[in-house]
Amino acid sequence: MILLEINNRIVEETLTLKFQNAMAGMKPDSVDITVADFDGVLYHMSNPSGDKTKIQVSIALKFYKDLQEHGADDLIQRVYGSHLTDPEPGYNISLLFDLENLPSNQEEVIKKVGLLKRNCFASVFEKYFDFQTQGTSGHKRAIIHYREDETMYVDAMKDRVTVIFSTVFKDDDDVIIGKVFMQEFKEGRRRYQQAPQVLFTHKEPPLELKNTDARVGDNIGYITFVLFPRHTSAEARDNTINLIHTLRNYLHYHIKCSKAYIHSRMRAKTSDFLKVLNRARPEQKTLEKKTFSGRTFKQR
Amino acid sequence: MCLENFSSQVVERHNKPEVEVRSSKELLLSTVVISRNEKERVLIEGSINSLRISISVKQADEIEKILCHKFMRFMMMRAENFIVLRRKAVADYDISFLITNVHTEQMYKHKLVDFIIHFMEEIDKEISEMKLAVNSRARISAEEFLKQF
Amino acid sequence: MAGRFPAVVIDNGTGYTKMGYAGNTEPQYILPSCIAVKETAGVGDQSIRRLGKGVEDLDFYIGDEALATSNYTIKWPIRHGIVEDWDLMERFWEQAIFKYLRAEPEDHYFLLTEPPLNTPENREYTAEIMFESFNVPGLYIAVQAVLALAASWTSRQVGDRTLTGTVIDSGDGVSHIVPVAEGYVIGSCIKHIPIAGRDITYFIQQLLREREVGIPPEQSLETAKAIKEKFSYVCPDIVKEFSKYDNDLEKWIKKYEGVNSITKQPFQVDVGYERFLGPEIFFHPEFANPDFTTPISETVDNVIQNCPIDVRRGLYKNIVLSGGSTMFRDFGRRMQRDLKRTVDARLKISEELSGGRLKPKPIEVQVITHQMQRYAVWFGGSMLASTPEFYQVCHTKADYDEHGPSICRHNPVFGAMT
Repeated sequence: MILLEINNRIVEETLTLKFQNAMAGMKPDSVDITVADFDGVLYHMSNPSGDKTKIQVSIALKFYKDLQEHGADDLIQRVYGSHLTDPEPGYNISLLFDLENLPSNQEEVIKKVGLLKRNCFASVFEKYFDFQTQGTSGHKRAIIHYREDETMYVDAMKDRVTVIFSTVFKDDDDVIIGKVFMQEFKEGRRRYQQAPQVLFTHKEPPLELKNTDARVGDNIGYITFVLFPRHTSAEARDNTINLIHTLRNYLHYHIKCSKAYIHSRMRAKTSDFLKVLNRARPEQKTLEKKTFSGRTFKQR
Repeated sequence: MCLENFSSQVVERHNKPEVEVRSSKELLLSTVVISRNEKERVLIEGSINSLRISISVKQADEIEKILCHKFMRFMMMRAENFIVLRRKAVADYDISFLITNVHTEQMYKHKLVDFIIHFMEEIDKEISEMKLAVNSRARISAEEFLKQF
Repeated sequence: MAGRFPAVVIDNGTGYTKMGYAGNTEPQYILPSCIAVKETAGVGDQSIRRLGKGVEDLDFYIGDEALATSNYTIKWPIRHGIVEDWDLMERFWEQAIFKYLRAEPEDHYFLLTEPPLNTPENREYTAEIMFESFNVPGLYIAVQAVLALAASWTSRQVGDRTLTGTVIDSGDGVSHIVPVAEGYVIGSCIKHIPIAGRDITYFIQQLLREREVGIPPEQSLETAKAIKEKFSYVCPDIVKEFSKYDNDLEKWIKKYEGVNSITKQPFQVDVGYERFLGPEIFFHPEFANPDFTTPISETVDNVIQNCPIDVRRGLYKNIVLSGGSTMFRDFGRRMQRDLKRTVDARLKISEELSGGRLKPKPIEVQVITHQMQRYAVWFGGSMLASTPEFYQVCHTKADYDEHGPSICRHNPVFGAMT
C-alpha cells in the first residue's frame, strides 16, 4: 500500500452491514460507535434518541469553523442534501439514515458517507479554485488550523492557487527523515511535468507567509504547492483535492514506514553480526567427545 | 589480548574487569587511539584482565548521524546476546566492546578479532546503505504522489 | 490532545487480531492475524532477502485481504500468542493503523495485549516499535487474562469488581487456564489444554463424515464449523441427553442447509448428537484426543489447588470465560456444576478425616458468563482504555525517551479500585 485511502472504512463497513441487515429484514441492533480518522476527526454513529431504525452519523472536526468561513456548509448541503439533520451536540455535521426507508442507491450513499471528511476539506479548495478560474483576486488568504499546531494556508492568484502546509515533527529523528522526504518531493517534480510545483522550507515559513503568525521552530516544515489551472480545472479538481488533503498523512505515513524498514534492516544486520560473533565460540561438546577413531572419550 | 585471571585487590573474592573499575594504576596499560580522521577512530584501553574497544563511526551528515545513533541503540538493547558488547558506549564514542579474560578463555581469540574487524567494516557500509535506502524510498513515495496529478 | 481522541486498542491473537477504538462495545475489525508478502526465491537469509532496494516492503496485505491474494506468501507472525517475526509484525501494525483504523498514531494512546508469560524482552521490542516507528504518545501493554477479568465486570455490581479470578480462555488453537490474583498472573500455575475450537470442529467433521454423505468433501470443514457455531450446546448429562434424543428425535434434530460451492446444488444435513457431542470433548477429552483425558473442570480445579492457599477462595468465586470456544450454551453452567461437585467432595473428605469435629466453610464456586465473551479481551481493553486512569498508567513517549524501552517491562495494574 503506497497511497493512503481517502474514505473511512469503518464508517463504510458499519453502514453496509446495517443496510444489508435491514434489507434482509432483520431486527436492527443498536449502534454506538465512536471512531477517529486522520487530522483529529471524530465520527460518531448512533441511534438518535434510542430509535433503532435510524442511524445517525456525526462528524466532529476541530477546524470546522475555519471551513465554514469558506462555504463548507454549502458543499455539504449540496452533496448530502436530504440526509442532513441538525448536528448532534459536540459534533459539526450529522447525517441521518432511516433503515426502514432505505435509499435505492445504497452503495453510492455509503461511499459518500465514507468521504464525509474529504468533502469537508473540499470546500476550501473548491472556493479558491473558483477564485482562480474567475480570475478574481484581492481576497483574504484562507487559514485552516487543521491540527492543533499545524496549519494550512490557501491562496489564489490569477494564474495559480498556492497551498501551504505547515507540519510538525514530534521526534527529532523525524525532522531529518522528513527533510529527506520533502527534498525528494521537490525534486520529484522535475520528472513529472504534470505535477504541481512543490517548494519546501524548513524551520521558517516561506516568503508568502512572512508577515503572518506562522510558527517558526526547529521541528516545523512548510510545504508549498503551486497549483496551476491544469489542476484546478473542473475535471482535475476532485483528484487534486483528494491528493492534497491527504498529503500530510501521506508524508507521516511514509516516514513511519521508513523507520519500520530501518528497523528490519537493523534486525537483519544484528543477527548477521551475532552469527559472526558466535563463530568465535568453540562448539565444545562435539570437539571434546570424539577421538580420532570416532570413539567417545571420557575424561575422568 | 593477553589477559589473565586477576582477583580484585580491593575487595576479597571480587573479580572485576580492571579496565572498568580502575582500582589501581599499575594494572592499566596505556591507551591507544587509532584514527583515520576526526570522526572515525578507535580507542583501545587495556588492562591486566580486560580490554575495552570503543569505536566512533563515520557520520557525514544528519541522516547518517541519526541512523548510526538508532542502530547503536538497537544493538546495545540486545547486548546480552552479544556477550562482548558494552551496554553503554564510552563517552565520545558510538559503541564499545568489553572483552574480559573469561571471554578470551572461552572463545577463540582470533575469531573475536575477526568479529571486531568485521563489525567495523560492515557498520560503515550498512549505514550508508541505509541512507541510500531511505533516500530512494523518499524518492519513490514522492514520485508516486506526484504521479497522481 | 490525548483526552479528546479515543485510545486505540489492539488485541493480537494467534488466529485473529481484534482492533478498534476504546469506548466502543465491539472491535471495529476482526482480522486473521496474517500478512501476505512477496517472497523472492534465492539464496541468503530470509530476513536479508526481504530487504529490497525500494519500497517493496510496502507491497503487502493483511487480514482477509491477505488470504484473498494469489502469488503472495502468507505468513502468520504470531505463534502461540507470542510474536515470532517482528519485521512482519511491525508491518502488520503499520497497515492496521493506517489503512484500517485510519488513526494518526501520534494522536492516540495505544493499548496492546500480551499473552500470559510473555517475556519482558518482547515487551521492550513492542515498545521500541511503537515509540520509535510510530511515535505513539503513550503505550500500555496489558495481560490478556487481566483484561478478560475486567470485561466480566459489566455483568456485576460495582462493588464486586475485582481483579482476582480464574480465566478460562479458549480460542481456536489452544485453551489456557490462567489464575489471576489482584491483577497479577500466577505464572507458575497456568495450564494449557490441547483442546480448543478447532478440535471441536474436527470432531464434528469426523462424526458427520461417518453418517452424512451429502456434504461435499471440500466443504466438510466449513459445514462442521457452521454447525458448531449454530447448533452446538453443552448438555448436563450425556447419557440422559442420548435418551432424550432417542425418545423424540424429531424434536431435537436440526436441519442444516448448505449450498455446494461448485455445483450450486443445495444440500441438507441432519444435525443430531453432534449438537452436544462437540462441546462435550471439553469435558470428555478422550473422545477426540486419546493422549489427554483430564476434563476441563478437573484441570481448572487442579490449577486453583496449585495456587497459594489464601487466594483459592477468590479464584473459585470468580471463574471467567473468554474466547469464542466458550460461547456454547450452558458451558458455564456445566462447568460450575462439575467444579462444585469436586470441591464439595473434597470438603466432605476433610470433614470426615477430622472425625466431624471440623466443619469447613463451604466454598463458593461461581462461573461467570457474559455478553462480551467472544471479544472479552478486547472489550476489557476498550473499557479500561476509556477510563481516565488509563492515561495515568500509560508509559509516555517522554518517559521512553528518558529511560529507554526497559520502562515497558512493567505495566502497573490499574482499575481494581474503581
